[in-house]
Amino acid sequence: MTMGKVSPWITEAKETPVEMSSRIRLARNVRDLPFPCMLKDEGMSEVIEKLNAALTDLRQVHLDEMKFEDKALLVEKHLISPLFTKRGRLSYISDDESVSIMVNEEDHVRIQVMGAGDSLDELYKRASALDDRLEEKLNYAFDDKYGFLTACPTNVGTGLRASVMLHLPGLSLGNRIQRIANNLNRFGFTLRGIYGEGSVPLGHIYQLSNQLTLGRTEEEIINSLNELKMRIIEEEDEMRSIMNDDHLLKAKDSIFRSYGTLKYAHTISLKEAANHLSNVKLGVDLKLLPEYTIRFQEQIQLIQPAFIKMRLNTLEKEYASLEGAVDEERATLLRELIGGTS
Amino acid sequence: MICEACQENEATVHITTGSGLNKTERYLCEACANKSFSNQFASFPDDSFDIHQLLQSLSAQQSAEASRKQKRRCDTCGSTIETILKRGKFGCADCYDTFSSKSSEIITKVQLYQTQHVGKVPEKSSAYIKVKKQIESLREELAGLVERQEFEEAAVVRDRIKSLEAGDDDGKS
Repeated sequence: MTMGKVSPWITEAKETPVEMSSRIRLARNVRDLPFPCMLKDEGMSEVIEKLNAALTDLRQVHLDEMKFEDKALLVEKHLISPLFTKRGRLSYISDDESVSIMVNEEDHVRIQVMGAGDSLDELYKRASALDDRLEEKLNYAFDDKYGFLTACPTNVGTGLRASVMLHLPGLSLGNRIQRIANNLNRFGFTLRGIYGEGSVPLGHIYQLSNQLTLGRTEEEIINSLNELKMRIIEEEDEMRSIMNDDHLLKAKDSIFRSYGTLKYAHTISLKEAANHLSNVKLGVDLKLLPEYTIRFQEQIQLIQPAFIKMRLNTLEKEYASLEGAVDEERATLLRELIGGTS
Repeated sequence: MICEACQENEATVHITTGSGLNKTERYLCEACANKSFSNQFASFPDDSFDIHQLLQSLSAQQSAEASRKQKRRCDTCGSTIETILKRGKFGCADCYDTFSSKSSEIITKVQLYQTQHVGKVPEKSSAYIKVKKQIESLREELAGLVERQEFEEAAVVRDRIKSLEAGDDDGKS
C-alpha cells in the first residue's frame, strides 16, 4: 500500500458520469463475547488469532503503531471509519485497497468491499465469500428471528449496508435533493452528502444507501437500491439536459470560470476546490470541455487534507500556518492536474 | 513557545482559522496540529442515521419504569436496559434475549415494523442454534418424565441430551 496515493481500485476504474463507486458492508459478531463497546481488545485475542489464520491474503494494518496523519489518510480512502482512528487497533486491507476488514469497531468484524464499475451484486458476492471464510473459523452471533446480531439495532438481520456514491450537481443545484431524499426514506433508503456538514455537500457528491437491514434478503435490498439508483440517475440526466438546453450560457460560464480558477489559483480551500472540480466534471460530462478529461473520484480524494499533508511532508518545506500551507499546496496540485503547469 | 494544547512540547506549527473578527490563532506542536485535522473528516459512509435521539426518548420513558422495578442486568456483559438505551447499542448478543420485550420494541421502531430475518443464514451458526433448541426441548421433556417417575424413558432422553452436547462440543473448535 502506498500511503499518499489514491487506491489502485480507483485509479484503475473507468471514468463515468454520475455514478462513482459502490460499497458493500457486512457487520458480524462472535457469540459468547461482549460487543466491542463492552470489550477491551485483549478479550479479542482468540478471535484475532483465528482471523489472522483465515485472512492470510490480506495485509494486517496495525493502527496502534501508526501516526495520526496516516490513519487520517485511511479514513479519506474510506478504508476505516473516523471512530476507528481513535479506538481501532487492527484492520486487514487488500493490496488494491478494495477490501478492508475492521476488527472491534462497533461490531467485532466489519467486512467492506468497494469498487467502481463493479455491480453491487458482484461486490456482495465477494463480501459474502469472505464472510463464509470467516464463519468457518468463528462462531457468529446469529438468531433465527433477528438474523445476525449487531451492537446497533439498525444493523440487525443481514448486517448489510449497500451504498452507491453519486455525483449529482444537476439535482443539487436545482434544489431537488430534499424531495428525493424524503421519498427514499419511506422505502427505507437514504440519500445524503458524503463530504461536509452543510446543506450542499462538498462537490455535490451524495451517497445512496439502505437504511433497513431486517425483513428483506440481501438480494432484495441490492435490487431495490439498483432500481432507485437508476431513477436518480435519470432525474439527474433530465436536469442536465435542461441545463444544456435552456441555461447553456450560464452553465458554460460557471464551468469555464471553475476551470480557470483550478488552472490559475495559488491558494484554495477544500470546499472551493471540490466545487470547482465538480463543475469541471459536469463540463466534461456535458461535452462543454471537449479537449479535457478528468479523473473526478481520484482528484476529489487527492485534495483532502491528509493527502495534501502527505505531499507537504515529502517537500519538507517550512511553513507558518499548517492550514495556509495546505491550501497553497492544494492549489499547486490542482494547477498540475488541471492545467499541466506548476 | 510551548504548545497551547498539550502544554508540553515546543510549538512548531501556527494554525489560523476563520477570518476577521472570527479569526483564531493557535500555536501547537506537531502531534496536536495533526489532531486538529480530525474535525475536517468526511463523514464515513456508514453512519447511515442517528438513532440516538430515538433511543434517548425511549430512555426517558424507561427511567420512570425502572424506578418502580428492580434493575436487571445481562449475565454475559452486565448491561442494563438503561445503559443500552443511553449508548444506543446492545452490550452483547445475549442482551437481545435478556431484554427481549424491549429489544423487540426497539427493533420494530428502527426497522420500520420488520421483525423477521429472511436473509443469509450462516451454515455453522444455524446448525448450532438447531442443536441448542433441541437440547432445550429435551430438557423439558426430561423434567416431565422425572416428575412422572418414568425413569426408564428419562434415561434414554438423558443419554440423548448427553450425546447432543458432546457433538456440540466438537463443533465448537
